[in-house]
Amino acid sequence: MKRLLLLVLLGLLAWGWSERAALSAFPGILSAYSAKEFCSCRYVMGLDTGYCQAYVKQWLPLSELRDDVPARRVEARGLGRSASAQWLGPREGCRLLP
Amino acid sequence: MRTALIAFLLFMLTPARADESALQAYAFPPRDDQAREGIRTDALLVIQNGRIVYEHYAAPTGADTPHLTWSVSKSVMATVLGVAYGEDRFKLDDPVATFYPPMTDHPQVRIQDLMHWASGLDWQEDYEYAPLKSSVVAMLYTTGRKDMAGFTAAHVSLAAPGERFLYSSGDSNLLAAALRRMVGAEHYPDYPWTALFQPLGIERAVWERDARGTFVGSSYLYMTARELARIGQLMLDDGRWQGRQLLPADWVEFTRTPFAGAAVEPGEATPGAQWWLNSALAWPDAPSDTFAALGHWGQGLYVLPKQKLVIVRYADDRDGSFQHNTLLRHVLAAFPGEQR
Repeated sequence: MKRLLLLVLLGLLAWGWSERAALSAFPGILSAYSAKEFCSCRYVMGLDTGYCQAYVKQWLPLSELRDDVPARRVEARGLGRSASAQWLGPREGCRLLP
Repeated sequence: MRTALIAFLLFMLTPARADESALQAYAFPPRDDQAREGIRTDALLVIQNGRIVYEHYAAPTGADTPHLTWSVSKSVMATVLGVAYGEDRFKLDDPVATFYPPMTDHPQVRIQDLMHWASGLDWQEDYEYAPLKSSVVAMLYTTGRKDMAGFTAAHVSLAAPGERFLYSSGDSNLLAAALRRMVGAEHYPDYPWTALFQPLGIERAVWERDARGTFVGSSYLYMTARELARIGQLMLDDGRWQGRQLLPADWVEFTRTPFAGAAVEPGEATPGAQWWLNSALAWPDAPSDTFAALGHWGQGLYVLPKQKLVIVRYADDRDGSFQHNTLLRHVLAAFPGEQR
């Protein structure tokens, strides 16, 4: 039984190492997706805050979604990462900040 | 007598109205905003013979909302490229590397291979069901977001270019990046507007870019439903707009020709060149010459040439309830045109 557990653990570690790039990027998806798509929902499509909050909602909850209305800048936090998107202009719409 | 006449007229008019209300009932059932289940149409616009015959929106989306088109963007980027093609700025068999140097690692890939989603580059096109391995999620939101074409070009080659269809938003963004050198860096930021949108009278379009300034040709075009319909009308009229040949006829033909390297998938539309075709009757209730631009969560621009129909649907479908074929069947029942 112990040997089996060890094998499973080793297998998981090997998989984790082989997928390390994807795994390390994964927690960043939630905040980046939410910041970008909320920014576009509000400032490109021009829809209201309540609708846009529901629109970007995922199965994992965000810890914060901050909309700086005068600056047209949106910051999202989730899974320990944060991301910001900025509205840039009437043709350019929104973009994630580096 | 008068009552009888009115009754007769009502009887004559009822079938058309019933068909239209069946279309309305299919596209706009009571909306489930809590569970986000079922068909959730934001906009449905039907144009026949160049005139609006049906138009309905679900709030907060309205006639003035530039709605996200997701992958419909790819077909519009192909239309922008069509104008550049007509200006002799590239040929279909030109290597992509001529216009986009990071593709020198893949010197055999030609523009037409990208148009067919057949670059041969490794790619995982999955959204929320496989976010860990998804190339498109990484491209839009994490490791690829600063330079989406560069991210794509760095992928390994899995197949010879031009031989195998593999749907890839990366291929579409390589086209968007190649456009910069085709038209010149100084004209690039305005090119979709000067080449296509302004001639068509499209005023509210927004096309988001990555940090390199490259249009996100795969995903991030926004237009009102009426504006997107103009792209459909241009394609229906074989590239002509108000008497002017805006797109070369051979370009339109190329985009609507089924790609030989695509396997027939039951129920899936056949890929043309950045457009989807009903040539194998994936939508059995629609004519085989039907073609479409399709996007995530139910976005669609459908063109039915014989019936002179252009249909725009914007939506927020979060499950698989919506069926292209059922929508087209309802539209054809309500607006059969002269061909029937």
